[in-house]
Amino acid sequence: MLRKVREQEQTISILVNNQPGVLSRVAGVFGRHGYNIQSLCVAETTNPEISRITLTSESDPDFTEKIKKQLDKLVDVQEVIDLTGPAYMQRELMLIGVTIQQETISEIMRAIQMFNCRIVTMSPGYYILEATGHPDETAAVLGYFQPFGVKEINRTGAIAVNRKNPQRQM
Amino acid sequence: METIGADIVIQVLREEGIDVIFGYPGAATLPIHDRLMNSPIRHYLMRHEQAAAHAADGYARATGKVGVCLATSGPGATNLVTGIATAFMDSTPMVALTAQVSTSLLGQDAFQETDIIGITMPITKHSYQVHNVKNLASTMRQAFELAKTGRPGPVLVDLPRDILASKCELAGERGASTLKMNGKRAETPEQIEKIARALNQSERPLIIIGGGVKLANAFHLIRQLIEKANIPFVTTMMGIGSVDAANGYNLGLIGTHGNELANRIVHQCDFILAVGTRFSDRSTALIEEFAPLANIAQIDIDPTSIGKSIKINLPYVGDIRDALTALLPLVNEKEKSEWLQRIEAEREAAEKKIANGSGCGQAGDFIRKVQEAMPGETTVVADVGLNQIWTVRTWKARDPRSLITSGGMGTMGFSLPASIGAKVGCPERAVVAITGDGGFYMNIQELATVGYYNLPIKIVVINNGHLGMIRQIQDLFYNDRFNTIDLGSKVDFVAVARGFGIPGSRIVVDENPQSGIEAMVNTEGPYLLEAVVDPNNYVFPIIPPGRSNIEMIHDRLD
Repeated sequence: MLRKVREQEQTISILVNNQPGVLSRVAGVFGRHGYNIQSLCVAETTNPEISRITLTSESDPDFTEKIKKQLDKLVDVQEVIDLTGPAYMQRELMLIGVTIQQETISEIMRAIQMFNCRIVTMSPGYYILEATGHPDETAAVLGYFQPFGVKEINRTGAIAVNRKNPQRQM
Repeated sequence: METIGADIVIQVLREEGIDVIFGYPGAATLPIHDRLMNSPIRHYLMRHEQAAAHAADGYARATGKVGVCLATSGPGATNLVTGIATAFMDSTPMVALTAQVSTSLLGQDAFQETDIIGITMPITKHSYQVHNVKNLASTMRQAFELAKTGRPGPVLVDLPRDILASKCELAGERGASTLKMNGKRAETPEQIEKIARALNQSERPLIIIGGGVKLANAFHLIRQLIEKANIPFVTTMMGIGSVDAANGYNLGLIGTHGNELANRIVHQCDFILAVGTRFSDRSTALIEEFAPLANIAQIDIDPTSIGKSIKINLPYVGDIRDALTALLPLVNEKEKSEWLQRIEAEREAAEKKIANGSGCGQAGDFIRKVQEAMPGETTVVADVGLNQIWTVRTWKARDPRSLITSGGMGTMGFSLPASIGAKVGCPERAVVAITGDGGFYMNIQELATVGYYNLPIKIVVINNGHLGMIRQIQDLFYNDRFNTIDLGSKVDFVAVARGFGIPGSRIVVDENPQSGIEAMVNTEGPYLLEAVVDPNNYVFPIIPPGRSNIEMIHDRLD
């Protein structure tokens, strides 16, 4: 059944065996249960045999429990951690290609400073900016620059870690 | 002879106690088929890979052991898919071995290459493709462990040809398991105490027995519980036979095609202990109105089965045997209560509504006669369609593994190949395959397998010349606009059977059923009995789509 009520975005981190085909099994669980993956980031952990998949998905009231149980059944999934909430800090990196005109350049430069963005590269009339922060902040950055003419963006999607020492290698 | 990967495959099969596999060779499987000649494992050559999967499934359901099927790459592997999905839906422990093109050709669209791992991902517990012969033994061992552990199910191992053919040493001792144990988390004793308390305090308790009771080998425990506390029980289709159907506490099958009494009592009870059932839509009918008065406790080894479709007040995740062993001493012995008297009154009322006891008409009577004529130790394998409902509602399953059918997947064509597996697994038991004409056509080639191995399977084809269950739906809910359901009456099934080397006869059930039944029972070896029934012989009562358990209809005009 495709669920209709989408309440909030949920961030989940999944520790999996670092092997071919595992991502497709994980993604399959979301697809089969009618959840769309909004963002996805995969990287090795401190243990190269284990990868960490961090993803965000639209959720509904059953989401965390149902998806967690389903993911737990996968042989290659070691652990599922719900990263939503204040105990975790989230960051995202975004590249924004924005057009620059004589009339807008000073305002854009001011915004770059204010949002702590970096100009990664520039060509006549076009800057590539780098923004990092909580996904809410990167969304705000994007929202601000959009009226100036954003031609291309790419976002890593949220990654997240414990604020406190997890007391084990992860 | 030098040891090769295929020898490791056979080594692990032997370790696992596998003495039978069902398969079909292809160029890529040949290393295995070649080395099977040196092993005591019997390989049954089916006439279609789908049938190999169903036979392995039937074998596993009849014996409780892991069923193994083997197919080649490409079309061999894809032909297994329906059989694997059937096993997955009914939680049958199965290992499906598929050969694959050599690792150097993977991804190149080589001859008979297919991504069977990708294809079977949603219908297996897990699947493995072996890329190094060093991992072959551990992968095979893990596949068997996984197929049996927790909620059982099919596991697929894809074996590239070069891995099977590569020289290697036989595997060493089995190491410690590295498998993450699913569903093995133990519940606290308090949870069982809570369930016991709720059961003891209830006035109108009911047990729902699902297929998990068979999978967990918990028949004795569930019967002890029923008899100690005088609790009536209903079963899902997969739960039939877990307790002798003749047990006085049996109220029958629940769900859309279930018994009226069973469905009515579910609606009236105040406490349900659901054991090894996932509350499928076929069992519950309209979920919002299922068991409106009941406090529900659910015992299941699969955490995702708990509360998947229905709210559970008292969940218990774990092995059914552990749970019932803990529960039994905490349950009070109860005298026959008002509740049981009320059920008896309901039973009488329900029986009056259906002129013919089972609601299965002439076909039901006929199946009852077949059972009476067969030995007590008979396993029946029902196909899908009206014949399935007639069988599960009429056949009195005495032993836990004596009634086999495709419940969750509803796979037509299941019964003939599955009966081959059941017969091979339990040669001491008589086996009857009951099928309709529609399902029979779907794996009719397996008559050749039955004939070749001279397997004494009694094949009963209930022939109404139609896809009967679909006909009933068109009759009742599509204003009797019949379309695409007429199978005709031109095929002479007895001649077909004879062509495959199997004797048979044809009867019309309203005229002379006994002569045919006697001929079947008295003929040694396989036999085909074609039993002609009226296409207007349906199943009643049934629950129309989108209605609740008590909104049953009893005839065409209801």
